[in-house]
Amino acid sequence: MLGVFSTGLLLGALLSATVLWLASGLAAPLPADWRAGATAALGLLAVARDGGVLRLRLPQNARQVPQDVLQRHLARGALQFGFEMGTGVRTYVSASLPYALALGVLLANDAGVALLAGVGFALGRAATPVLRFASGTGEEWDDRLLTRLTLLKPGAATVATAAWAVLALRG
Amino acid sequence: MHVGTGPARPAWRGRLTDPAVPMLVLSCGAVAAAWYGPLLTWAVLGGLAGYSLSGSV
Repeated sequence: MLGVFSTGLLLGALLSATVLWLASGLAAPLPADWRAGATAALGLLAVARDGGVLRLRLPQNARQVPQDVLQRHLARGALQFGFEMGTGVRTYVSASLPYALALGVLLANDAGVALLAGVGFALGRAATPVLRFASGTGEEWDDRLLTRLTLLKPGAATVATAAWAVLALRG
Repeated sequence: MHVGTGPARPAWRGRLTDPAVPMLVLSCGAVAAAWYGPLLTWAVLGGLAGYSLSGSV
């Protein structure tokens, strides 16, 4: 079922990536170095928000994917569940980095960037259930995740900001 | 009396599947990729963004 769920994640992420890429033409008139710098700045905002320094309400679909999608038909439900989570717009967005990533893809105006960011997003999303399953201790793993989330979110945003800064400096 | 609780889980399995592991791997990957090329960097950062939503369903 993890495979079906991950396939759904991938399809959902690719849909969002395609939409972002299609809309990214609006950013094309802006100079490339300005867009790269703005992406790094967005990363900084994500760090500040996840670090609790900046209070900023961002749009999100504040609901969980309905659990009954899995009860109607297991395989189709897992696919739908994965798809909805993969789009990134059908449930809670509990970290700021996905927002910065989406805006960065918009600013990049590059089909390859959109495609690979989407594939990476889906794989990153799939890592959670895969690792939880591999641990063999579901609830204990959940507890460990909870203790690491406070560092994980700002940490991920910090790493992304540094990487975007390097890309901006390299041109 | 010994109460069976199933086979003990090896310690390495707990460490290898720790929720921090993907974060560490992706962080190292992002730094390395940033010096290598932009496309790979975006893929790794996509992974970081996806994993940062752990626990959110």
